[in-house]
Amino acid sequence: MKIPVGIPIFIAAAGTDPRFAKLVSRYLVSAGLWLLVASAVGLLEAFRLVHPDLLADSAALTFGRLRPVHVMTVLFGWASMALVGLSFYVVAKSAWLPMHKPMGRAEMTWANVALWLWNLGVAWGIGALMSGDVNSGREYREYPWYCMAPIFAAVAIVGVIFYRLIARRAVAGIYISCWFILAACFWVAVTVFMGYQPWFTTGLADRVIDGFYIHNAVGMWFTPLAVGITYYALPKLLNKPIYSYALGVLGFFTHLIFYTVIGTHHYLGSPLPDWLEAVAVIFSVAMIVPVWSSTGNFLMTMRGERLAISHSYSLPFLVVGTVCYGLASLQGSAQALPAVQEALHFTHYTVGHAHFAAYGFVTFLVWGAIYGLVPRITGREPPVMLVGLHFWLALAGMAIYVVGLCSGGHVQGASWGEGRPFTESVRDVMPYMVWRAVGGVLMASSHVIFFVALWKMRPGAFTMAFGAQGGR
Amino acid sequence: MPFSVHTSHRAILLLPAGLYVVLVLLCAVWPALRLKAEEARTPRPPHDALVERGRAVYRSFNCVTCHTQQVRGYEAKAFDLEGRRVVPVFTADARFGTDAASTAREYDWQDPPLLGTQRTGPDLLGVGLRLPGAQWHYWHLYAPRSVSPDSLMPPHAFLFTKDHPPPAEAMDYDEVVPIEGLGLEPGERLWATPDAKALVEYLLSLKREALGGTR
Ligand code: HEC
Ligand code: HEM
Repeated sequence: MKIPVGIPIFIAAAGTDPRFAKLVSRYLVSAGLWLLVASAVGLLEAFRLVHPDLLADSAALTFGRLRPVHVMTVLFGWASMALVGLSFYVVAKSAWLPMHKPMGRAEMTWANVALWLWNLGVAWGIGALMSGDVNSGREYREYPWYCMAPIFAAVAIVGVIFYRLIARRAVAGIYISCWFILAACFWVAVTVFMGYQPWFTTGLADRVIDGFYIHNAVGMWFTPLAVGITYYALPKLLNKPIYSYALGVLGFFTHLIFYTVIGTHHYLGSPLPDWLEAVAVIFSVAMIVPVWSSTGNFLMTMRGERLAISHSYSLPFLVVGTVCYGLASLQGSAQALPAVQEALHFTHYTVGHAHFAAYGFVTFLVWGAIYGLVPRITGREPPVMLVGLHFWLALAGMAIYVVGLCSGGHVQGASWGEGRPFTESVRDVMPYMVWRAVGGVLMASSHVIFFVALWKMRPGAFTMAFGAQGGR
Repeated sequence: MPFSVHTSHRAILLLPAGLYVVLVLLCAVWPALRLKAEEARTPRPPHDALVERGRAVYRSFNCVTCHTQQVRGYEAKAFDLEGRRVVPVFTADARFGTDAASTAREYDWQDPPLLGTQRTGPDLLGVGLRLPGAQWHYWHLYAPRSVSPDSLMPPHAFLFTKDHPPPAEAMDYDEVVPIEGLGLEPGERLWATPDAKALVEYLLSLKREALGGTR
């Protein structure tokens, strides 16, 4: 029987540079704190969509301003920082760098500078949004440019560090995880630049950029990072090679080519050029190829490992993340079909889809990788009871949230399609808003538990004592 | 070492980066340049300070998060200001007081056009025709459920004041006609602040007159 994690952790972690362990841990703890902030805000917003008068006296806390606070904090605070923290480890390991000194002194300093730039950008961004300095109408880039600038700089620094680590690798081959991680840093830099460039800011030119930006900020950053990390974490935790390396390569290039060109599927039926909409629809369907080459690859790797998965506290998260990646993306391909979009665009279905993907896929994979990999750096495992509780609360909450909102979206879409008065649809959707709030409570409580577990894994006396010496 | 993505770190950086840049140029920059050139042929609309201030308030409270300004239709782009062909509107969008799908020219020079992505509340493109009274909007912004009992819209009461505005600036304030549901004490008075006044001016300007968009 394979034991994916357990006693070997102690040995695996011995010899890891304690400063490296601290660096990764700082990224993850920052991410965890942002997740708590964002969850509190998300929960408030969810309650308000049931009871709109809640805390409504303050302009800084108004619904319209807090919504981007929630979204930007989960995206750029939680998911980004967690993925980057894990990427340090994944890149160092898959480049076969010596773990007692994976990064040079200067690299370590710069990585810490990037960490604080990142935190600064997110904190400043929250302040700007609440004070009404909202880059409104431009989703996922509601921060004013000067709050995004530190994050941009941090991505650039981190990208250079990853490149240097890969260039120093101790093996000839470059593992697929490194492809995804390195490329994501470059892709997101270009995407953010396009999102804030000063030349296309009016009229429909701005909307072409908007479709491009909303789409690629998500799919050319979070997706490749999460997939790249899973390509390392899953085989590692199962202690077996990935099912097919070639499928990974296929997935990488088709993702790059198909995904980049489909941003306009956020604007079907709008006055944007027809050819852009057509390209977007066609390649949105073609996205089934990259998605299922990764998902299928992961599922085939998991095949026959029921026992290992059921004995592991990290692998179940990877299973949920993988399944949600496949299903949420299928849902996305379907949503890009004009007939479906006519009915469901603008409804709460979209928010259901966003959480299926950003939560079910990205966040679950991040959790699985954190529980699976962090003990291998710090030598400290989380309390298994807490992890189990976290898993079931998050899964139940997410399921209620996603199923609830996707159903609510259909109710809205049907009502609008029949031409009934708008306020009727507002009334009809109320039960689903309640379900979302219920799911949200479960999700948010699981995040508190996650944070406690994360805290228990932080570098401790063991990491310090055995870390640097073991590697001699 | 050969220039292979499997063994050269330079290749695995440059190939995906180069491909990405090419695709971005093709699918974002190039269409944006063309749309910008089209826009440049329309004159900029006359400057209206109050409406522009109202639009800034609308953006500052991020109303676009719940309200679209876009009527979708098939072949929307076959329709322009001169051509009188009416484009079939998506059924879901047909109720918003306008009889034509949105066209490119409507959004010219808007920074940014507030098409929106979610309709928690109704589309606002024709709201100035649908609800032409400023007082209704004051009531609605101050206490949405005073005029729309099932509304999910948050109140924006902080855009109003119960203190008598300073006489020198009284012009910039509007007194709100009291109705039941605002929760005012007998004799209590309520004023729309300059921000609220500008915001409502902006909402009332959303008429799509150029298209003859009538109910
Ligand atoms: C939480 C989402 C939400 C936010 C934020 C929001 N609204 Fe609304 N709005 C609604 C809903 C729901 C309705 C429909 C019920 C009603 O009439 O109140 C509505 C209705 C309206 C209407 C009436 C439209 C019509 O045709 O009946 C106007 C005007 C309006 N909102 C303006 C605004 C402005 C201005 C802001 C920003 C200050 C704003 N809304 C912010 C949800 C929202
Ligand atoms: C505590 C758990 C959470 C709750 C209660 C919650 C709630 C919400 C709410 C109320 C909205 C606004 C919906 C609307 O305006 O109708 C929203 C939007 C969003 N949330 Fe969450 N959320 C949670 C966690 C997360 C996490 C962890 C992520 C990602 C990692 C996430 C990603 C998003 C995104 C991307 C949107 C924007 C959707 C869009 O663009 O339409 N959420 N969330």
